[in-house]
Amino acid sequence: MKLNNKRNFCIIAHIDHGKSTLADRLIELSGTVSKRDMQSQILDSMDLEREKGITIKLAPTRLIYEYNGQEYELNLIDTPGHVDFTYEVSRSLAACEGALLLVDASQGVEAQTLANTFLALDNNLEIIPIINKIDLPSARIDEVKKEIEELIGLDAENCPCISAKEGINIEDVFKAIIENIPAPSGDENGKLKCLIFDSHYDNFKGAICLIRVFDGKVKKGDKILMMQTKKEFEVTEVGIFVPTTKECEVLKAGDVGYVAGSIKTISDVKVGDTITKADNPISEPLSGYKEVQPVVFCGVFPVDGAKYGELKDALDKLKLNDASLQFSPENSSALGYGFRCGFLGLLHLEIITERLEREFNLDIITTAPSVSYNVYKTNGDCLEISNPSNLPPAVEIARIEEPVVKVNIFTPPNYVGSIMELCQDKRGVYKNMIYLDKHRVELNYQMPLGEIIYDFFDSLKSRTHGYASFDYEFDGFETSDLVRVDILLNGEKCDALSMIVHKDKAYSRGRELAERLKKIIPRQLFEVPIQACIGNKIIARETISAMRKDVLAKCYGGDITRKRKLLEKQKEGKKRMRKIGSVEIPSEAFMSILKLGDDEK
Amino acid sequence: MKNEKMADVLEFPTDDNSISIYIHIPFCERKCSYCAFVSFCLSKIDREKYIQALLEEIESFSTVKRVKTIYLGGGTPSLLTKEEIFSIFRKLREKFDIDENAEITIEVNPNSVEEDKLRAYKEVGINRISVGVQSLSNKTLKSIGRLHTKEEVTEKLKLIKKYFDNISADLIIGLSGEKSVTKYAKELIKLNVKHISSYMLEIHENTKLYFEVRDKKYCPLDEIGVTKSYDKLVKFLKKHGFVQYEVSNFSVDGYQSRHNLNYWSYGEYVGFGVSSHSFLNGKRIANSGMLQGYYKREYKEEKITKKMEIEERIMLGLRCYLGVDISILQKLGYDIQKSESYRKFLKEGEIVEDDGKFYLLPKYYKFADYYILNLLP
Repeated sequence: MKLNNKRNFCIIAHIDHGKSTLADRLIELSGTVSKRDMQSQILDSMDLEREKGITIKLAPTRLIYEYNGQEYELNLIDTPGHVDFTYEVSRSLAACEGALLLVDASQGVEAQTLANTFLALDNNLEIIPIINKIDLPSARIDEVKKEIEELIGLDAENCPCISAKEGINIEDVFKAIIENIPAPSGDENGKLKCLIFDSHYDNFKGAICLIRVFDGKVKKGDKILMMQTKKEFEVTEVGIFVPTTKECEVLKAGDVGYVAGSIKTISDVKVGDTITKADNPISEPLSGYKEVQPVVFCGVFPVDGAKYGELKDALDKLKLNDASLQFSPENSSALGYGFRCGFLGLLHLEIITERLEREFNLDIITTAPSVSYNVYKTNGDCLEISNPSNLPPAVEIARIEEPVVKVNIFTPPNYVGSIMELCQDKRGVYKNMIYLDKHRVELNYQMPLGEIIYDFFDSLKSRTHGYASFDYEFDGFETSDLVRVDILLNGEKCDALSMIVHKDKAYSRGRELAERLKKIIPRQLFEVPIQACIGNKIIARETISAMRKDVLAKCYGGDITRKRKLLEKQKEGKKRMRKIGSVEIPSEAFMSILKLGDDEK
Repeated sequence: MKNEKMADVLEFPTDDNSISIYIHIPFCERKCSYCAFVSFCLSKIDREKYIQALLEEIESFSTVKRVKTIYLGGGTPSLLTKEEIFSIFRKLREKFDIDENAEITIEVNPNSVEEDKLRAYKEVGINRISVGVQSLSNKTLKSIGRLHTKEEVTEKLKLIKKYFDNISADLIIGLSGEKSVTKYAKELIKLNVKHISSYMLEIHENTKLYFEVRDKKYCPLDEIGVTKSYDKLVKFLKKHGFVQYEVSNFSVDGYQSRHNLNYWSYGEYVGFGVSSHSFLNGKRIANSGMLQGYYKREYKEEKITKKMEIEERIMLGLRCYLGVDISILQKLGYDIQKSESYRKFLKEGEIVEDDGKFYLLPKYYKFADYYILNLLP
């Protein structure tokens, strides 16, 4: 097919605005998948996504559509709509010439969509606004058009107004894609230049690179070079997505597809890397490549200590498909043997832990997330500490550096005061404020990452009713006055509850955590003091009073079964408890550090 | 340390070739606000049809085992007419070999106790009366939907005493405003009550009380209050010579409920009537809790595995003075003496071992679930 008849595009949408449904309709109308094989939200490949009703990332797919007597090949590439995956989003966008900006006709433009839209504008993508859910009685099409024009500066006058669910005006979408999104440019006779925008692992084919070809051709048997990792492979298969993989003979400039090359480990395939021919390489790789580093860490432990091996196997398997997941063995006196895992962000953490529980049927306990600190000791050593309990004693520490990030917040102007207050509270350093137009302000702060993973996102959402969006990027390390707060339960230290916090906040955080633990830990037969301390200094104390009674008064009549079942249920609950000395604490307690501050909301 | 309560333990081995019978009478004049048992107002149930079904169910069951206890529970069995009592016992005596010393109990509500019915009870061999007293405050009784008064309790207990020696009374701990029930226990003892069952108020979902509590129209005693009231009662009854032979059951020695002890000692029993339960040949059987289901003879059956038996034996034995047989657990595959918790409780003196069994000391009964949970395999 001629380049002129190809279009590469993605869909940008807020959660719930109907991205997956629109994708389904496009597939259906183009006849890519037969009706028989259609399952709702066909591109949501993970059960987890389908169940949660959120789409982290859709599979790419090629649609064939006939328009004005000509056949067009439309490649839909998805963007994960979450700040954890900003880098992946930027690479997916880089593979396209255009983007559909899908907006719910009753909700209007939502803040979270803005960041990705601007990312798309940065990548010089043609953006087509589409108003969805026009069938809803609450649809306010004209207002939403106005919002799009004012907030984003896009002309929405003639944009498609559709209902993906009801299949209304879907043809307009095809028309807009074909007429407005530029055809890819590129020279199929030039040197091979492909962008890896995603990867996954296939048990038979090994790691698979999802690519956009910019110049040249690639086919089976070619020797390819990954320009960043400097690894060479022989191509064993090239193909396209329909949306399942389908082998084809060759991928040419402008195409979207995949290459496989008996690549044993997914870490050899880096998103953003450039593929070229090993024997005839281009001189410069595509710009925009970044090494993705985990920024959030937490301990993951099996509830049943005997399942350590199973947990390891499961993590190994997940890692095959997810190069950004990192883990190493860890031992906790409270939780036994487990792993310290590194993630791209909190959503990534949540996805992985849920998959462990769901797909691998493991009961796990996770500790509160932490960031990685650079600890300089008085003897000149430097340690990287991502587990608070590994922090050396205060006397041995010369200084500690914590990771900081540049935070960009987009918000309607009326929330500026509230956001500034929040950023201040999170130890943010004000950098800049730009009035983009009368409806939108951009705020720039530098902020410790540790404060962001704590509860920044939730606080921002609740303070701005969801209208602010934020985005952050790594901005190096800065020395900070940090201390470790430990928790003693009945006089015994619980390592899994230790946290590293700024000195000025240690007192309030210690007190909040003690209060929260008091609510979570069930009463025991004896009184349990909960103490928060820095070194040997106690900074907060709460007491769980002793249990008064623990007995089902009635065991009467012949219904023994019901009583036994109650007991069995309690026994299950007990399995999820951990013992610190003689105190039993439920596994949720270990995540409770994160929930601090919730009560005030 | 030897458990002082062990002295006169009644032994009911499971293989003693005898069984207990439970008969459920789901009739009520009015439903009490806390009640979660299956029962129906008399206007809502065809009593003739029910009694007929009950008789047929008894007829269809046969066993060579001797019957050592019979218990008529409800509902309100004292609403049965003399004729109904006679026909039930005629059928029972026709079908079963009932031990001449069998304990035969009927539950009664004070307001439906009548002298000629008491005579009928005597005539059919009933020898134990369990009276649903619950409280001796008229205000409290009214607030939970009981139909009797304090005065009526006194009057009817005196009447019962003319015919029966073995009298039990139920008292609820934790009702609104009732910080102590010892004064009621004192009254009851004076009225010749030999056995007291004192259950802590449980609020079951979908009972009238559940909604009253939810809507803050009824305010039961809090946990501290309940525990204090319970502690006071335990102390009071002990002082008055009552044995605490189970978490919630107290009696003058020799007046323990043999019917309940059979449940707790893993004895076999057969239940007749809607929602009744049976334990026979290693199976627990539950009759349908719906009248229509019961009339169609619907029931659920569960085979008890070794694991379940271990759990049940610990659960039942630890709550009462019968204790748990160590060698039986061993035969079932659980060597409890190797359990860390067991050794700890033993060392702390919370449980005691004696003659191949272990017992929870009565002063820890109020934490029984904690011990049970920790002693499970």
